[in-house]
Amino acid sequence: MVDFNGTLLAQIVNFLLLVAILTKFAYKPLMQILAERQKKIADAIDAAESERREAEQLKLEYKQQLVEARSKAQVIVENAEKLAEENKEEILKSARAESAYILQKAQEEVARERELALAQLRSEVVALSMAAATKIVTEKMDTELNARMVSDFIEKLDDQKIGGLPC
Amino acid sequence: MEHGHEIGSHSLAHFAGLTFNMDTLIMTWITMAIVIVLAIAATRRMELRPRGWQNFLEIAVMYLLEQMETNMGSKGQKLAPLIITLFLFLVVGNELGLIPGFTSPTNDINTTLGLALMIIVIVHVLAIKNKGFTKYIKHYFEPYIPFVVINIIEEVAKPITLSFRLFGNILAGEILLLVLGMLVPYFVPTLWLAFSVFVGIVQAFIFTMLSISYLSNSMQDGH
Repeated sequence: MVDFNGTLLAQIVNFLLLVAILTKFAYKPLMQILAERQKKIADAIDAAESERREAEQLKLEYKQQLVEARSKAQVIVENAEKLAEENKEEILKSARAESAYILQKAQEEVARERELALAQLRSEVVALSMAAATKIVTEKMDTELNARMVSDFIEKLDDQKIGGLPC
Repeated sequence: MEHGHEIGSHSLAHFAGLTFNMDTLIMTWITMAIVIVLAIAATRRMELRPRGWQNFLEIAVMYLLEQMETNMGSKGQKLAPLIITLFLFLVVGNELGLIPGFTSPTNDINTTLGLALMIIVIVHVLAIKNKGFTKYIKHYFEPYIPFVVINIIEEVAKPITLSFRLFGNILAGEILLLVLGMLVPYFVPTLWLAFSVFVGIVQAFIFTMLSISYLSNSMQDGH
């Protein structure tokens, strides 16, 4: 069962032959493909890493831009509010001024109308009294009264208008 | 085979004053052929995305390379083809004996001792190359001079244990398979056959791992 012979040497030779054959036909291509794959994986990992970093950078940028945009929007809204406030004040002021002007105009108009009305009234009263007077005069006038009136008039003329002038 | 099932016997051939066990040699050549075919089939259309048999071989090779890397460092890369071939040869050889009509080349002590001696020779050559001859000799007298006996016994024991472990496991497995087949046919031998598949892989693995371990000892520079 356990006897040593030339098989031992033959087996060593056989095995070394197998090593040589496998090294030539299998080991080298295998190592090549393994190295290739390793390189590919490493490249993929590197690429993924750089892409991730880039994405992070972009994210940071976008975040910053968002903050900027938000603050800008805030400023715009504030400005608009201020402007609106100013506009409101202005509009109110002008409205107030206009209303004051309109009121004044109205008052003036009213005053003028009143004066006009007064003047008309006065002239009407004069005309009326003249008419009345004419009527009275036409009815009651007679020679005697006429004479007295004329003399009265002349007397008054003497007193008031002519004064102490010698005639 | 005229000898029938006479276990452990070999048909002999004489050539150039040496005797050869022809059945062992034939089984060895069959094993070599299978290994070569498998290896080339696995590496013929190598793809970046491994598939099928390539996948299996790659797992084995990667595992062995990893073991060598951790045990020997980058210097062990040169021995990688040897170790990988050793493992493939042993796995295929061990399993070959489980096929009816075939025997394992590793059920012959000549095969296992041949491989073990080859490994041990490489170990010592590498040790001398790495440490220098004087340091290599001095190594046997450490830590104290009387330890030379123990050290030499250890060195001699290495190939013997390595070869007899494999030889014994495989031969015993085949013997038991035949014996069980005669005693309790069908079910029990089938169980044993299944276990032998496992044993074949484990023994190939052990032989390879121990070889790596011995080789790595000789690769270390000083100690």
